[in-house]
Amino acid sequence: METLKQQINDANSLTELEKVRIDLFGKKGTLSKEFAKLKDVPGPEKKAFAEGLNTKKASLQTAFDERYEMLKKEEIEKLLKAEAIDVSLYGNLDEKGAYHPVMSTMEKIIDYFVALNFAIEDGPKVEDDFHNFEALNLPKNHPARDMQDTFFFKDGAVLRTHTSPVQIRTMLSQKPPIRMIAPGAVFRKDYDITHTPMFHQVEGLVVDAKGEISFANLKAIMSDFLHYMFGDVEVRFRPSFFPFTEPSSEVDISCIFCEGKGCRVCSHTGWLEVLGCGIVDSNVFDAVEYKDVSGYAFGLGVERFAMLLHKVPDLRMLFEGDTRLLEQFR
Amino acid sequence: MIITRTWLENFLDISEVSDETLFKTLNAIGLEVDNIKTYTIPQKIVVGKILSCEKHPDADKLNVCQIEVGAGMQRQIVCGAANVVDAEYVAVACIGAKLGEDFEIKHAKLRGVESEGMVCSASELGLPNLGDGIMVLDETIGELVVGKELNEYKKIADTVIEIELTANRGDCLSVHGVARDLSAALNIPMKSFEYESQNQEKIGLARVAKLTSKGEINASLEFAMANVNNLDTSLLFLLRLGFIDKLSTTPIDNFLQYIIHTTGVILRAYDVSHLDFENDEKLIITAQNVNDVIHISLNDKKAAYLGIHQEEASKTTGKSTQVLFQASYVNPKHIVDVVSEQKIQTDELYYNTSRGSEPNLSFGITYLTYLFETYYNSKLFEGTLSVKEELEPTITTVSAEEICEIIGNKIPKMEIINILKALNFGVQTSIEDSFGITIPPYRHDIENIQDITEEIVRIIGIDNIEAKALKFVEKNRINKSMQKYHAKKALRSRAVSAGFDESISFAFADKKLLKAYDFSIINEKLDIINPITTDLNTLRTTTLINLLQAAKRNVSYSKKSTALFEIGTIFNEYREEKEVLSLIYAGQSESENVSNAGKPSSINFELFLKKISSIVGNFELKKSNETNGLIHPYQSADIIIDNKICGYLTKVHPSVCDDFDLKETFVAEIDFNALVPKHINAHAISKFQGVYKDLSFVINKDIHYTQVALSIKTLNLPLLKKYYPVDVYQDEALGEEKSLSLRFFIQSEEETLSDEAIEETIKRIISKIESDHGAALR
Repeated sequence: METLKQQINDANSLTELEKVRIDLFGKKGTLSKEFAKLKDVPGPEKKAFAEGLNTKKASLQTAFDERYEMLKKEEIEKLLKAEAIDVSLYGNLDEKGAYHPVMSTMEKIIDYFVALNFAIEDGPKVEDDFHNFEALNLPKNHPARDMQDTFFFKDGAVLRTHTSPVQIRTMLSQKPPIRMIAPGAVFRKDYDITHTPMFHQVEGLVVDAKGEISFANLKAIMSDFLHYMFGDVEVRFRPSFFPFTEPSSEVDISCIFCEGKGCRVCSHTGWLEVLGCGIVDSNVFDAVEYKDVSGYAFGLGVERFAMLLHKVPDLRMLFEGDTRLLEQFR
Repeated sequence: MIITRTWLENFLDISEVSDETLFKTLNAIGLEVDNIKTYTIPQKIVVGKILSCEKHPDADKLNVCQIEVGAGMQRQIVCGAANVVDAEYVAVACIGAKLGEDFEIKHAKLRGVESEGMVCSASELGLPNLGDGIMVLDETIGELVVGKELNEYKKIADTVIEIELTANRGDCLSVHGVARDLSAALNIPMKSFEYESQNQEKIGLARVAKLTSKGEINASLEFAMANVNNLDTSLLFLLRLGFIDKLSTTPIDNFLQYIIHTTGVILRAYDVSHLDFENDEKLIITAQNVNDVIHISLNDKKAAYLGIHQEEASKTTGKSTQVLFQASYVNPKHIVDVVSEQKIQTDELYYNTSRGSEPNLSFGITYLTYLFETYYNSKLFEGTLSVKEELEPTITTVSAEEICEIIGNKIPKMEIINILKALNFGVQTSIEDSFGITIPPYRHDIENIQDITEEIVRIIGIDNIEAKALKFVEKNRINKSMQKYHAKKALRSRAVSAGFDESISFAFADKKLLKAYDFSIINEKLDIINPITTDLNTLRTTTLINLLQAAKRNVSYSKKSTALFEIGTIFNEYREEKEVLSLIYAGQSESENVSNAGKPSSINFELFLKKISSIVGNFELKKSNETNGLIHPYQSADIIIDNKICGYLTKVHPSVCDDFDLKETFVAEIDFNALVPKHINAHAISKFQGVYKDLSFVINKDIHYTQVALSIKTLNLPLLKKYYPVDVYQDEALGEEKSLSLRFFIQSEEETLSDEAIEETIKRIISKIESDHGAALR
């Protein structure tokens, strides 16, 4: 009996144990042979002999089960160990790309106005003089045309210098009330540290019946928008001049780099100019033959917002597909 | 436009106004302060009086000066500037003065002579460069007191303010104009400027000159004449012209520039030195309207186009002794179109004319007389000659209520009236809401009620306008553009997930490059006239060149892998716009890591395809018809979505890779509109089991799968739900043929398939492929 138990406990693997099982419990195994002897045992002793065998069998079965559990556990443990890896070697796969900071800034801007029930409108990049200038109260030879260095085509068309022509297109194809933004690329003939020949603007226009829309409304939305974009900044409105709005205003925020104390970025003024806006000039409404309406319009440069928001050091870098910059936004 | 604090003081008493208030007010009224510079003269720089000046015994170019630098204080200073010889008062840096961080004035011995200080030039004091030599002081900066610290002279230690003037404010192109606007905002009255000539030449101008006009002269002109001798510009004028960076070399130019900048009146000087008035020579000035441009001639010699430019020959020089001065005003409305249409050459002063110069010519002439007689000791001829256009005052009616409506705040009518009066508008008050106003002649920008409202807004200050949220009617504003925006957003998100970085490049291209790589170019007649640079000289017809350039740039920054995408506009030869999604994948297919033992494979056709598919969804490929120079003849394909070719992808031709210093590179360009999600209807799903069957054909190796697929498609088999290639095999034994294995999924919507039905479908496929392509079942 003890040697049989020893056999079980000597098995060092599940395969060895399986052999032992066949030797002990199999049809031709040790126990079967013992039970076979039962028929030769005389009657009166039969019962005691059978009981003895059953106890023996049960005890061996327990020993077997225990051994099996142990070996099974060891086996799994071994298997797991064999699959061990240094997980720390496998990080940093960097499989995701990056959104361009200008595009994600544009999205952030668009999201705000869409949430305020502005529609998105679109227009062509190659424009005619009427939509880009004339209808926006920028008649030929107007000094304000100097403000926008224009790319001209041989047939008289221009690359749009601002997203404002979309205002005109929208007003001509729809009826007030209008509430729209026009995001997109614009082009000016200017190329240096702070200017690129292509950049992006978001234009806004709201038109309703005369007397409905005031400068005070414009001030409210512009302040709220700038707080949404830049957080806790001071917002300052300065009267300015744009041919298509009157009164016009440029809007500044307190410098986010020096908190208004004055630094290189804000030319030591403590303020950063971020957008232009105003009450739509009546000449613009005349150009699209709108009568008895009022409205406001605004426009901003997306690159400027992106550079301020993300502290991008060089404007030109934004147009070079430079992954040293882009990777930072992954 | 640059002004200085003390210059403003000529017209406005701002002694009680702090710098901070001044800047804030300028900004608040729309005169944006762009730059502020306050000049500070270091301590121990004092007014010195030169008592004597002798040549240095051992150095030709040095002078030994005895200079009084305070009551009873005399210093010996060696000075190298030539102009010290004639100077009386100078700026002396005493021992201990610091002219810079590392520059302290110390006791020195120059070629054996003791020197106890330094006579300074303007630039040595941090002031603008006023020319060679030391700065000679005169009383134009204030009373000269020997020993007084120079920093106490506020006209030297001035605050210089640069204003970014908007295009509509020609009236503020002068110190007087800015002061006038500030006067209204600060509520400080303007100082009146009046001057009577006291020291005229005996000759009256009318006796020697005559002004005639021909044609309609819709301009104003006033002429004065002077004899000029030894015109020497005083320090204050030099300094201020230095501050505004308009210092010229000739005294007359400086003199005129100073008056123009001060008064805003356009002044020109003509040289008439050759005329001998003593001997009865006469000057005939003619103003003639030629095609709406006023020509000024002097004794029949063309001298100027009024307000536009002056003939070189009529200009004064340093030697001029007799000068004719002309003040002029032309309404910009009369002139800008004419100049542009007739392409007339313009000079620097035209800028002022076109923005609207000061129409009050007498102010300019009086100021000129005042300066001449006060500071220059020269004499003007008596009287002036003039032609004056009768300027009809512009009168308009405005309603206080309408102004308030535009602003959105209630502003009392009285306040509106007071603001307009302060801005020199004439106001005809009435008890009605509406009232008449007369616009000052120098405000060329004011025309309608919105312009007037802007004046009110400026002076009240936008900060003082209460913001009010707009109430508006709810409306569904989802439109095509908004849907496109969302589609683009989703597409970008998938491209980013697939490992591409988003790129933006200019919508321009280099025509030479487009041609070199056989891309179409914009029709010559529709191209840009004025490109910014030669490498951006046309509109792009592909974004791929831009992406290749970006990849090249990244390689130069030692990047081993560049994956970029761009959604941008391209143009066709008719300049029609189209938005495309373009992708480039260059170099390694993944980052170097442990899994690939630091040697990742290069990007290949399959990997690139998988990436594109994860971005744009499913598509078919067909051998590409594209012919541009990027195309790899054996690894390029047209991308087909919904049975339409909507773009292409290609391995970049190895010679192009060489041009851009790239290794294995793949690019794709796909029409964005094809990628906008379409509406999808679900179809019924079969409840019956389907079966997969594989067939291998031996077929000519040049036959593309597309052709085989097309044959199967034309069969239009109702049970054939799906089929696709699963293996292609080629070896020498097959010769000119290949083995192509296809997998077919066969399923019925109505019943469990019988073996016969499957057999029938398979049979038809086999016979079709055999007959169409001479293939044989393997």
